[in-house]
Amino acid sequence: MNGLILKTEGLMKVLAKTSSFLLAVCLVAAAQSSPEVHLNADGLAPRPIEELTGTTIVHHYAQAWSHMAEALESSRADRIGDEFVGQAKDRLKQRIVEQAKTGVHVRIVDHGHQLKAIFYSTDGSAMQLVDQAQLEIQTFDGNKLLDTENAPRKYIVLMTPGADRWYVRDLEEISEGAF
Amino acid sequence: MAAELHVPATVKAGQAFSIHLTGSGNATLYLIGPDHVVKRSVASANDVEIASGDLRTAGRYRVIICDGSCSSASFEVKSAEPAQLSFFLHPSRVPVSSRDSIDAFVFVFDRYSNLVLVPSVVDFQIKPASGSPLSHQSPTRNGVAWMRIDSTAHEGRVQVTAALGKVEEARVIQQVAAEPCALHIKAVERGGKVALETDPVRDCGGNPLPDGTVVSFTKTDKSGRSTVDTPIRKGVAKTEFRMDGPAKISVACGVALGNEVELGGKL
Amino acid sequence: MKWLLVFVITAATVILLAIAWLQSGGLKQRATSSAVTPEAAVQALMNKIQAHDYQQAYSLLDSNSGTDLQSFVRDVGGSDGSLRTYSALQSADVSPLHADSDQAMVRVRMTWSSAVGSLDDVRDLKVLRNGSVWRVVWPKPEFPSVPPQVLPVNYLRWEVIGRNASQNWGAQEVDSPKVRITSMNAISRPGRVVIVGEIENEDTIPAYLNVNATLLKANGSTIDEEGSFDMISHVLLPKQISPYRIDFPGIRLDAVKSVRMDARALLVPASADPVIAVTDQQVAKDALSRNILKGDLVNQSGRLVNIAQVLAAFYDDSGKVIWVSDGYVDQSLTPQVPVPFAIDIPNDIAERLKNYRVIVNHYTRSSV
Repeated sequence: MNGLILKTEGLMKVLAKTSSFLLAVCLVAAAQSSPEVHLNADGLAPRPIEELTGTTIVHHYAQAWSHMAEALESSRADRIGDEFVGQAKDRLKQRIVEQAKTGVHVRIVDHGHQLKAIFYSTDGSAMQLVDQAQLEIQTFDGNKLLDTENAPRKYIVLMTPGADRWYVRDLEEISEGAF
Repeated sequence: MAAELHVPATVKAGQAFSIHLTGSGNATLYLIGPDHVVKRSVASANDVEIASGDLRTAGRYRVIICDGSCSSASFEVKSAEPAQLSFFLHPSRVPVSSRDSIDAFVFVFDRYSNLVLVPSVVDFQIKPASGSPLSHQSPTRNGVAWMRIDSTAHEGRVQVTAALGKVEEARVIQQVAAEPCALHIKAVERGGKVALETDPVRDCGGNPLPDGTVVSFTKTDKSGRSTVDTPIRKGVAKTEFRMDGPAKISVACGVALGNEVELGGKL
Repeated sequence: MKWLLVFVITAATVILLAIAWLQSGGLKQRATSSAVTPEAAVQALMNKIQAHDYQQAYSLLDSNSGTDLQSFVRDVGGSDGSLRTYSALQSADVSPLHADSDQAMVRVRMTWSSAVGSLDDVRDLKVLRNGSVWRVVWPKPEFPSVPPQVLPVNYLRWEVIGRNASQNWGAQEVDSPKVRITSMNAISRPGRVVIVGEIENEDTIPAYLNVNATLLKANGSTIDEEGSFDMISHVLLPKQISPYRIDFPGIRLDAVKSVRMDARALLVPASADPVIAVTDQQVAKDALSRNILKGDLVNQSGRLVNIAQVLAAFYDDSGKVIWVSDGYVDQSLTPQVPVPFAIDIPNDIAERLKNYRVIVNHYTRSSV
């Protein structure tokens, strides 16, 4: 019996190792893949969006969410990535520093974003967007799951162009009835 | 059993409030906001004070209270009153008399740099160097107000001020001369040389082109062609060419061409 | 035993030195410095110049040469921070023009290597027989001097006060200068595609600019991306126009579906001084029968210009830019003194060109 228990424990260890390896692979894959982002720029004022700008915004906004999720889960500010700038970056850094202090972290399961561009300045230096996101957010204290939320969320986003990308300069969550 | 949470649906940024708990014993309270995480022990039967400093950033906050099991609730922090304007005025130099050539937009923020989404009206005051001032009101939508106006007919500095309540931001742009118009040179021959000078270089509205603008002189004669790119000084451009028989001289400024003069007979 | 070791080391050193001397052309140098022919005399002189041994080079000249050592060194090695002072003689092609028993004319094409490419200097040298040896007559170089005077210079200078890094987003900014590509032409050249055209600074302030081009395939994918590098006048004053040329080696024009142009302008401090006139421009043939655009540069300011580059746009009869070429001047530009320049023109372009426009880029060492 003992031998059987030992064998079972051995099998469990192997399974545990295998599953943690699989989990690690999934996490790496998840970390590398960006969420789905769709952009609607119909009726954008005072200037219409160029096709290339739209593609770039979608790409970098998706990257921003991917990096933010990674940083919030690992509580590591160096994972924030280059897509955040200014106030959005400062706030996210502050949050991560405090997460690390308290031992709290969150896991974001990102089911995609519907972006609607609502303002694009004539000189092309700023774009405001509203993001309808479908997120599942799990909050942990250490390894203990404290809370899970799975609901649509709405963000107001300010993006500004840089040399080779569009940056997220402001990201504020707002209530459904804000508009 | 987890304590029950009672939180308001919305709170103004920077305003403290209390969370009413119903339960017994001690619990751990978590407050998770956009840039802030709080974890502290609380007595479940008491009200918990959330300090103003914990609520500066607008957005959604999650409150979780755990005493064996956890319960949670959310509330939204909304921006406070407008306190800062991020004011953009483009371009910083604009040719005179150009339609829809000046753009202004303003993002309205509160004292904590939260975007103020409550609609309001931004008052733009436009003061050209000459002529009467103008005013333009634009309502904010999603925290942004914008306007577009024509540049006026005279070159010079234009000050534009955006105001919302007591908050004001001023910017300055420069209205500059448009393309040169009726570019004209005079030629005076003396001692084997020809001295060339333009009339004051102006645009079609009579505004002088700024000093430093390059004027190109070209002389063609039997030796070939000679060119000088010379900047305008005190409103006119001058140069000198050596004369060696008949010559044709022309002038240009950017893509605008001026008159041609022929000297010393037929080339 | 001890002495044997010393002997072996000494013998090995001598053998190695001999091999090194032979490999470095020692025999040739010895043969040429003996100057038994006019070409050998010129070649020997060139070898000394190549080795920067100007004193030895000067000692090889015929006594009828009108030059002194200082003028010779200045003529050959350059002065006043000119491009020649940063150059080295890479090669010298010597060819006889005519000769009799006592004197000869020899053409030498000196190719100088510099940071901006190679520069040719073609000279026809008189060579005289002196006993059994031929010696080069180096004509006295003429260095024009400007009479002492005071030249008032009051051209504009633009300075830029940049935005403070600590200022928030939305603080007042000064826009970059507005520039416009006024023409662009993609042409096929042997072994490459070349984009030529012109760009204008439409603004009222100076611009530092760069033009980049991206060649695209029919499916929109990129073939290659290149910049204009030094084939442009990077600093343009208000309303100034510069030609530009971008080379794509190893690409065929029929593989290119479209070209994406990107002109970037920066706000930089600049001065309207010096003004450099380009006089007596002519399309002609040089001593090697190549098509050239030649003329003189006249520095109209009171300050020495160390290095000058001449850029020329060539147009066909419809006014389209068909070629852009450049040439550096290896002499410095002394105020008021004409300095000749020449720019190569490919034969097929020379046949089609109807018109041309020249501008000058300059570099002035601040300490001079």
